[in-house]
Amino acid sequence: MRTGKKNLNFILGMAITAFMLAFLLIGVFYTPYDPDAMDGAAKYAAPSLAHLFGCDHFGRDIFSRVMKGTGTTFFVAALSILLGGTAGVLTGAFTGYFGGWLDEILMRVNDAIVSFPSILLALVFISALGPGKYNVILALGIVFIPSFARITRSNFLSQKEMDYVKSARLMGDSHLRIMFIHILPNVLPSILSMAAIGFNNAVLAEAGMSYLGIGVQPPDASLGRMLSETQAYLMSAPWCAVFPGLAVILLALGFSFLSDGILGKGKAPGADA
Amino acid sequence: MELLTVRNLNIEFCDTQPPTRVASGVSFSIKEGEILGIVGESGSGKTQTALSVLRLLKDHAAVSSGEILYRGKNLLQSTQAEMRQIRGKEIGMIFQEPMTSLNPVLTIGEQLEEGLKLHTKDTPGQRREKVLELMREVELPEPESLYGKYPHQLSGGMRQRAMIAAALVTDPALLIADEPTTALDVTIQVQILKLLKRINRTRRTAILFISHDLGVVRYLCGRVAVMNRGEIVESGPVSQVLENPQEAYTKRLIGAIPNRRLSLRRAQRADWQTKARKLPAGNVLEAEHISASYHEGKKGKEVLRDITFQVRENEILGLVGESGCGKSTLSKVLLGFVETDSGTVVHHTERPQMVFQDPYSSLNPGKKVSWILEEPLRMQKIPKAERKRRVLEMAGKVGLTREQIDRYPGELSGGQRQRVSIGTALIQGSKFLIADEPVSALDVTIQKQIMELILQLQEELQLSILFISHDLNVIYQMCDRVMVMKEGQIVEQKETEELFSDPESEYTKELLRATLA
Repeated sequence: MRTGKKNLNFILGMAITAFMLAFLLIGVFYTPYDPDAMDGAAKYAAPSLAHLFGCDHFGRDIFSRVMKGTGTTFFVAALSILLGGTAGVLTGAFTGYFGGWLDEILMRVNDAIVSFPSILLALVFISALGPGKYNVILALGIVFIPSFARITRSNFLSQKEMDYVKSARLMGDSHLRIMFIHILPNVLPSILSMAAIGFNNAVLAEAGMSYLGIGVQPPDASLGRMLSETQAYLMSAPWCAVFPGLAVILLALGFSFLSDGILGKGKAPGADA
Repeated sequence: MELLTVRNLNIEFCDTQPPTRVASGVSFSIKEGEILGIVGESGSGKTQTALSVLRLLKDHAAVSSGEILYRGKNLLQSTQAEMRQIRGKEIGMIFQEPMTSLNPVLTIGEQLEEGLKLHTKDTPGQRREKVLELMREVELPEPESLYGKYPHQLSGGMRQRAMIAAALVTDPALLIADEPTTALDVTIQVQILKLLKRINRTRRTAILFISHDLGVVRYLCGRVAVMNRGEIVESGPVSQVLENPQEAYTKRLIGAIPNRRLSLRRAQRADWQTKARKLPAGNVLEAEHISASYHEGKKGKEVLRDITFQVRENEILGLVGESGCGKSTLSKVLLGFVETDSGTVVHHTERPQMVFQDPYSSLNPGKKVSWILEEPLRMQKIPKAERKRRVLEMAGKVGLTREQIDRYPGELSGGQRQRVSIGTALIQGSKFLIADEPVSALDVTIQKQIMELILQLQEELQLSILFISHDLNVIYQMCDRVMVMKEGQIVEQKETEELFSDPESEYTKELLRATLA
């Protein structure tokens, strides 16, 4: 059932996300200043018409850096979700559909991964792999696998008992076709909503890891790095932290609304939220 | 004296724009000790009307106008506190699903005592005494031991008896029963109806009986009101309304009930004979000495025992039995979904196809109907243009319009969905169809249309059909031969006419007695 409230979530989520996407896409091609250029004269400059968000302790333009940083953060979050989501959905689909010993083994591995706090686990992977943008993506991706696997598996478990699946088998459909052409579209709303929630966590995790200095490395701008670098000047030059923080909040908020909106918009019968 | 009077009741669903009328201008009354049946097809508003009497409508439904008078008092103007005194104590209610209407974590005894706890000052000892006595009255076996058992340890029939006992514990003057026997097997259904009849006689409890089944209403009720699209189209004494209906809708409803006056199949075959067609005598399926069992852990439960039969070319073979007798398992064995322990199944056709009972789970909700119909052809690697042509052709055969096949299954009615299922099963050109309760989930008027469609397609495409049903009347209408199944065995196998006129086994006789024709 479509109710006004859920649609409002969807619209609001779309609006915020579209705004942030536009912001970061423009940042790819154009920034008012070189985000890495230091201007000694503009150290700690307060927001003005020349520097909309002010300047940081090296005199770098924060508006330009937020544009670039949002891009980096989005890139890391999106790729890690894509990685974790793909692996998780595949795992969940196979284990849920076929069951048996494969299911037992993979789900126990899943349980093992889930039993660690996710951020801690990501830290372990980073310390093994070394810091850097792509290692963060890999680490977060692995951490996200279980949640996708779980939700996909439980949906497949309920969907495979439906008569339409039996009917497809009688017509001679292969298992793969049944899994990905027949069942998956019905499970997609749950997965998409999971992806939106996961994206949020990824944004926050990337920001957190970069804040700790093990995420995105300089000179790449990332929202988390900007927060950690400017922590010491929070009292004297609050704009250095406020604007990157705001960007993190908006990114997360947009996807939060989106996930609520997607779940409200359409759900397969028998699909778990 | 009038016990309950409903006057000009209008109920609306407010979550749509504009609001949907589900009951309009509904008026009826029940005298003390009377049984009134409200009969109608799904969506006719009968359940909403019943719920409104107890003010139990969902949030999005509301009574927009009208009066509900119980002993002269307007329930629509009563406070919540007053309603709590009436619910359970004055008016009891029993529901369709004995599975979900009992609380699974409380014992039967605790649930039966609930009404006494709320409405009387009895001591625990008195309550137990009363409950045990009531359990004897509704013929629950061994009340003392059942008292401490949980709902899942009871059979469906016993649960429904427990529900009735729970509703009767405070001795209400009116009992509202919403399809109380629909989920039960026919032999159990008859017992429950007898019980309701006896309670009505001995306790003078008035019953408002909601049902889609005219046979049940005829058996139980003194008066009946026929509901269609939120309106009562006809009401009066049962004999008068059912024997001599005045309204077109009532006539159509009565005409659609499967009966044993004239078999649809025989009418069709008489037609065949005039065309002087010869029936081929070959078999499409031969099953010999099949046994199968389900395994849970190390324990195996035998569900099929030594089953032997053939399905002949061009025939509709009926398979009848009550729930749990193994008829669905047998169909799964024939399709290869379940392994046999022993015995052989030989198919003389390619790919038998299946039509399922529940038209809501048998079609993929995420695909358009045209996609669903086309899918079997994609498997056969038929070129796209040819596929499209055959989809349209099949849609025409099963009576679906171009516009309907462009929709999602969720946007179609139950009957239309079942047409899609049948079309999907036939589009590969299969000659052998297994239909597992294909019309049980449908309203009677739709049921008749689908039965006629199946018969028509059978003749047109020369199909062999294994037709599974729990409803002997439907079987009578549809089948050439019938197998009766009980506890995993086939107890009788005969030509249809012969089986109905001269049943051999005790079980077949019992089934025939329980069927309300």
